[in-house]
Amino acid sequence: MQQRRELDQSYTNRKLLNGQLDTPKWWAPTVTGLGILVVIGLIVIATMINKGLGVTGLGRPVFWGLFITTFVFWVGISHAGIMISAILRLTQAEWRRPVTRAAELLTVFSLLTALVFPLIHAGRPWRIAYWITPYDISRGIYPNIRSPLIMDPVAISTYLTGSTLFLYIALLPDLGNLRDRTTGWQNAMYTVLSLGWRGNPRQWKMQTVGGILLSALMLPIFVSVHSIVSWDFAIAPAVEGWHSTIFAPYFVIGAVHSGVSAVVTMMALMRWLWKWDDFIRPEHFDALARLLIVVATGWLAFTFLELIFAVYGQDAPELALREMQMFQWPWNLLFIIFLLTGYFIPVPMWLFKRVRTNIALMFWTSILVNVGMWLERFLIIVPGLARRTPFVYTWEAYRPSAVEWTIFIWSFCWVTFLMLLFSRFFPLVPLFEQKESQVFTEDVTIGRAKVPAIVREAD
Amino acid sequence: MTSEATAHSHETEHHAPPAQVDADIIAHELIATTTNASKRFKTIAWVLGIFGIIGIIALVLKFLDQGSDSTKWGYVAALVSFLLSITGGAPMVAMAPVMAKANWVRPVTRIASIFSFAGVVTIGMLIPLVAMLPPLVTEGARRRTIWMEAPDYSPHIWSTLGLVLLFITGIMLFYSAAIPDFAAMRNHSTGWRQRLGKRLARGWVGTDSQWRTLRMRIGMFGTFYFLILVFVNFLITSDFGQSMVPGWRDAIYPMYHTVSSFQAGVAGIVIALWAARRQMNLQKYVHMDAFWSLGRLLFALTLLWVYFFYSSFIVFWYGRSANDIATLNLLVKGPMIYAFIAGMVLIWFVPWWILIWNKVRRGVNGMTIGAVIILIGLLLDRIRTFVPAWSVPPERIHEKWLTVIPETVYPSLLDVLIMIGGISLAAVIVMLMTRVVPVLSVWQVQEFNLLAKPIRYVRGHATLVAKPD
Repeated sequence: MQQRRELDQSYTNRKLLNGQLDTPKWWAPTVTGLGILVVIGLIVIATMINKGLGVTGLGRPVFWGLFITTFVFWVGISHAGIMISAILRLTQAEWRRPVTRAAELLTVFSLLTALVFPLIHAGRPWRIAYWITPYDISRGIYPNIRSPLIMDPVAISTYLTGSTLFLYIALLPDLGNLRDRTTGWQNAMYTVLSLGWRGNPRQWKMQTVGGILLSALMLPIFVSVHSIVSWDFAIAPAVEGWHSTIFAPYFVIGAVHSGVSAVVTMMALMRWLWKWDDFIRPEHFDALARLLIVVATGWLAFTFLELIFAVYGQDAPELALREMQMFQWPWNLLFIIFLLTGYFIPVPMWLFKRVRTNIALMFWTSILVNVGMWLERFLIIVPGLARRTPFVYTWEAYRPSAVEWTIFIWSFCWVTFLMLLFSRFFPLVPLFEQKESQVFTEDVTIGRAKVPAIVREAD
Repeated sequence: MTSEATAHSHETEHHAPPAQVDADIIAHELIATTTNASKRFKTIAWVLGIFGIIGIIALVLKFLDQGSDSTKWGYVAALVSFLLSITGGAPMVAMAPVMAKANWVRPVTRIASIFSFAGVVTIGMLIPLVAMLPPLVTEGARRRTIWMEAPDYSPHIWSTLGLVLLFITGIMLFYSAAIPDFAAMRNHSTGWRQRLGKRLARGWVGTDSQWRTLRMRIGMFGTFYFLILVFVNFLITSDFGQSMVPGWRDAIYPMYHTVSSFQAGVAGIVIALWAARRQMNLQKYVHMDAFWSLGRLLFALTLLWVYFFYSSFIVFWYGRSANDIATLNLLVKGPMIYAFIAGMVLIWFVPWWILIWNKVRRGVNGMTIGAVIILIGLLLDRIRTFVPAWSVPPERIHEKWLTVIPETVYPSLLDVLIMIGGISLAAVIVMLMTRVVPVLSVWQVQEFNLLAKPIRYVRGHATLVAKPD
């Protein structure tokens, strides 16, 4: 699988540092354009905070709509980093090497974006402080620390801190490399950030041990984050469609599905934009697609179980909700799109090696997956609240407003903007991983065949 | 220290692959294991066989005596679930790393796929349970099951067929991977083994096309087996567990059962590997790397088990609806609290604490102790869920949720004999199969030697592992 390609170190340095030392021409106009969109989005957010949530489509009984859906979506995308970086590092999957940095970055930036949504969704963000810290000690009102709504920001903040640390530790050797190749203020910046990295055996050992320890420590956090997000919904028996025991692993596996797909999208863009054909190769897409087939099929099994045990109870309100979700306009259309884009179009395509190694097809199918995964979250959150039930004295259909859509689009521009900004100062493909892969792979002759081989260090 | 002792200490310390062994020697030595049964092996096989026969007699007696009272069959249901977990999970555990091209798994695959044969005991034990299972519709009232609009006896038919299909696929998976070994038996053994080898090898000479077909078959049956295993776990847990209890609606339960099935499979393999290594002096072929890797897998599955359990528990615990409270009262509280606590301690806490240490995972005995503890815990966990589920009287099965928690059913002498007999019978089938085919796959061990070489690397030791497509 791992096709060996001899690349000398100076070539690797030159090519992988081209974002920092020789900025591409498209970079400045793209970042400027995205920057303008980001500012527009921020103005819309400020307007919404000024005017109140009345400018959104939210209202009785649907108070959780596009914002919470997008929050869950970005938390899901954030699962890419640890899935790719930590799990594949611990299992010593050789093909992970060019992918890790992009995945870790996606984790950090998508978490930063996800955190914005519950804040703005509150309408008056400053009141969040009352909600997660004691409201009024003299009146004895405290936040319920047993509630997942409180556990949620704690888990996400822990994940964000850990992921940032994880990213930074893996960045150290490359920062040392950049320090030695820059002058002026850039040199000063890299000198500070590289923490005196010289690449001596002790530093390498510490860096490797740190990476492995963080990988192991991050795994439980990675699982807990989306589990806790799922419990925001699952422990509420009052809303039909939410109270299901399967939600935690279902959310986690869905998050991995969408996160890894987002990494595929990003890798294709990196290969095209920075012309890294020698580093991000079809074999990496092939490996990611194989992983995605397994993950997506697992996710489909969970979807099936979620649906079948929803109707298993034969409770009339639950049946009515599922009927609405699957058979009534416009939910039925969304439901069909969700299934087609989340599984039934991409996965059968990935079964063919020709597709798995075709970067354009991988790019588009990975985008399809994320369209489906966003819709999945929307279909979980909104219909349960939107179904007309007895004893609701006012009832309005939920239709996201232009403000909500603008903020939704802003989130994508924001993540891309941060990514591009990062790429200007730091390499998106880890140089040291690339060089290590050159050392750790070899071709051996077995019989008549030349077979790629990997050096495994004794534990 | 002699050079041999130094080499040995180096091997245990770094669990590097053993020195290269000639392919012919591997074939001779592994095929010889089918004929050289020790006295102890025979004694154990006899004792287990006798227990197995007693278990069958006890099952027949129980059916004659309590064939009309389904509430008394919880322990048999727990046994079926337990056996399904081990015999169904083990082959899958061996297949998954093969698909991921893990080299360490090669010496493990045969012993794992042999577990499929013990699936016949699961089918045998299921027969009376199928007879006991209440129909979907009683006096016009339809109970809650996954078979919403299906004909009345759907769970009876489809669960049985599912289990039989799993058994057949397991055997096909075993056979597909064993063809080169049957050819080796044809060439290297005598008597009935040689005749058997000749018949089952089907003209295997090892051409490129035969190898391609072999790998394709293993991949195909492996994938198919995995899908059926998940589906059968879904059927058995739903039809013989959840739907016996009104109001128990737990979407994660089939997956929980599947994950613990993988856990039981790995634990079963570790114990079998330990026994094979000790009894048949296979230290040369079953080295530390297999235990080390199985240990990591078992550790991960142990954590996954607790995650799945907690994901379900917290939703009931916080949900607090009448359904939720009744389900917890039946499955976790009451007399089952002791089985629950013991299960948590034995499946999760103790193994977690044992397996977290590298030293244990690098050793054979510590790993085996951990595996035995897990299997005891899993048996208790199956008792905790299936015995209360079957204790609900059929006349209450149509209620919206459980309003009266039924009396806990304690095991009778017959139940104890059936459980011991069922487990013994499964074990003796695995043992007897090692008399028919080599306990380690000859061609997999040969390939293992071909693809992994110990090398000196910079100032240390490493292994060069080839990864052919």
